[in-house]
Amino acid sequence: MKLSIFRYNPERDKKPYMQDYEIEPEATDRMLLDVILRLKVQDDSLTIRKSCREGVCGSDAININGRNGLACVTPVRTLKEPVVLRPLPSFPVIRDLVVDMTRFFKQYHSIKPYLINDEPVPEKERLQSPAEREMLDGLYECILCACCTSQCPSSWWNPDKFVGPAGLLQAERFIVDSRDRATQERVDDLNDAYRLFRCRSIMNCTEVCPKALAPSRAIEMIRLAMVKSSL
Amino acid sequence: MVVTGLRAWLVQRASAVYLLCYIVFVLVHILLDPPTSYRAWREWASHPGVGIASAVFFAALLAHMWVGLRDVIIDYVHPIAVRATVLALLALGLTGIGAWVLRILWLSIG
Repeated sequence: MKLSIFRYNPERDKKPYMQDYEIEPEATDRMLLDVILRLKVQDDSLTIRKSCREGVCGSDAININGRNGLACVTPVRTLKEPVVLRPLPSFPVIRDLVVDMTRFFKQYHSIKPYLINDEPVPEKERLQSPAEREMLDGLYECILCACCTSQCPSSWWNPDKFVGPAGLLQAERFIVDSRDRATQERVDDLNDAYRLFRCRSIMNCTEVCPKALAPSRAIEMIRLAMVKSSL
Repeated sequence: MVVTGLRAWLVQRASAVYLLCYIVFVLVHILLDPPTSYRAWREWASHPGVGIASAVFFAALLAHMWVGLRDVIIDYVHPIAVRATVLALLALGLTGIGAWVLRILWLSIG
């Protein structure tokens, strides 16, 4: 199996370069991450971030043959060779395939990703009806891997001002939560030229989401919530 | 009134719907009842109803262009001075087009 991998060690390299590798995958190497970890045995300087190895933690999001995805849930047999691996586009590179997620999480924190409810705490828990709970489906599953935000042209041009698809999907998750009491503040916070309305509905986000979520739909729902609240 | 965020988005969407309806209206008219001469075409175009619909069409078109092009400029032109200059030039250009449209519509009625 042939791979071409982005390499950059800022302590040693003046500029990034692509390094070619050839490796014979074992029968147990079903996912791309298995192959990368086998490569790492050959060349321990190769750097990647990973943790759960089953598409839950979102650590190993990289650009695979031009498309963002999680190495741990990308079957090797689906890949066209040479497999070109790069770090997430537009994110600052720390080393090789590892990127700096600081700005991404800053945008995520800006939408206040927690329930806001000043009402007295009930004895046990804040209840939801099954229908209210269902509203969170397709939103709460986001693992914050950044595949969507890194593939979004609007985020490329204004990463410091546009919240990005991942942050907006999370915003919608709290806007529709029946237990949250800050819906109006959340909607108002996104109503300016940048935070939500840089979205051009390009829909790369929905196209690449490894969890098959639809941030573009969440963004549309926020726009509708804004229209409703302005009436 | 600041036209940004939701307002700008609504202007863009509402104007798009009107632009589509007007274009369909004109195309259907041309297909069903094609004007036989320039005179017939002018007569149809100078009908008060059609004249108002055309005036609204160009107003919607200019509003649509302003929001769309302003978005592109905000996306790509980041230095504030350059952005302000480009936006001013765009506003000037669109105002010029608007004035030209008004003149044509005015003459067609007269």
